[in-house]
Amino acid sequence: MTMPDDVSLLTEELARDPDSLAFVTLGEALRRQGQLDMALKVTLRGLARHPYLPDAHDLGARICVDRGEIERAFEEWDMVLTLAPGHLGALKGLGFVCFHRERFADAERYFSAAAAADPQDEQVERALRHVRTARADGWTEPLAHALPASLMDDSRYLFVNVLNEEGQTALLLDRDGLVLAGAYVGADGKDVAQEVGAELSGVTEAARRTTRHLSMGDWTSIVFETEVAVVAMAPSQHDGLLVLATSRATPLGLVRRLLDKCSDRAGRWLEERV
Amino acid sequence: MATPFTHMLQSLARQRGVIAALVISERDGIVIDSYVQVGHSADRVAALAAKLFRKARLSAGAAGLGAVSFMQLEAQSGRICAAGAGDQVIVILAESGINVGLVRVELLRSAAEIGALDGQGFR
Repeated sequence: MTMPDDVSLLTEELARDPDSLAFVTLGEALRRQGQLDMALKVTLRGLARHPYLPDAHDLGARICVDRGEIERAFEEWDMVLTLAPGHLGALKGLGFVCFHRERFADAERYFSAAAAADPQDEQVERALRHVRTARADGWTEPLAHALPASLMDDSRYLFVNVLNEEGQTALLLDRDGLVLAGAYVGADGKDVAQEVGAELSGVTEAARRTTRHLSMGDWTSIVFETEVAVVAMAPSQHDGLLVLATSRATPLGLVRRLLDKCSDRAGRWLEERV
Repeated sequence: MATPFTHMLQSLARQRGVIAALVISERDGIVIDSYVQVGHSADRVAALAAKLFRKARLSAGAAGLGAVSFMQLEAQSGRICAAGAGDQVIVILAESGINVGLVRVELLRSAAEIGALDGQGFR
């Protein structure tokens, strides 16, 4: 694992020699530390000098995924395949993106190519099996098994096997409104989970007070429709809060079912950790 | 005395399971008109519903989600549904078993009517 000292050394090396390929290692180290803006900056600067380096575009794609910019990640991985057909990371990444969009035929094509490139990769084999199952009967769970290894343990992807449509996103917040899991991807593709979580968690106190004063028992859900979204919230374990947002096109009945599914998923995930 | 809101409140109150129907000011929670079953305080329902709707509206706005048109709070033994029309909110307090779909349509229709009344100077 790269330590902060390594980051310093790599930064120094890059300062000494701006043409050095150390920017790939440095960008990866910063990504792993969660310094996504800095990682992207380093990668883009490196790409300006080495525009045809496949691993740099692959790194750029993974940073984009971490930032919730799936569309941009797709373009970067697409570029990797143009430069290096058969690049394993790009094949797996594109397979994941296509699966996430329910483009199962494309996902199968990418995962099959990845399996051909590395027949020993069990993760790819599992992903391929799930894609084929999904193609056969429309069943998409558990999508998490199809995620690239770098994303499988990432709590931001906790709900991807429940939410399959564009514009659906979910968050699990703790009692202070801090994000425990999930992501909230805005219209510009950026993850604004912390901001949205902080704002929406304030509604629950008003809900608690209202139901108490009107002797209605505990609140079980809040749904509101806005100009651009339908937002549904439910209480979670340990005074937490689950927030689900979908596009206005999602029928309200389906929103309720998705909220229940996300609640189950969040409950199981919390039980495994607390 | 009948107000411009009386007929819409009566229509909402006719829905099975509806305990109270009110038009309130979101800003201060004051009752503009109401139909409330015996045993419930219109002022209390209005104050709490106004605060809840205001909080939802501000939170949604701050989160970049735009204006709130409809809100529903479900609790163990009841529901509150509300639809916004400018500064005014039309609210129902109901039992758990109501037909939410029907009430929602009725509330949104009423909110549109209130918006139209506003345009004619009824406030």
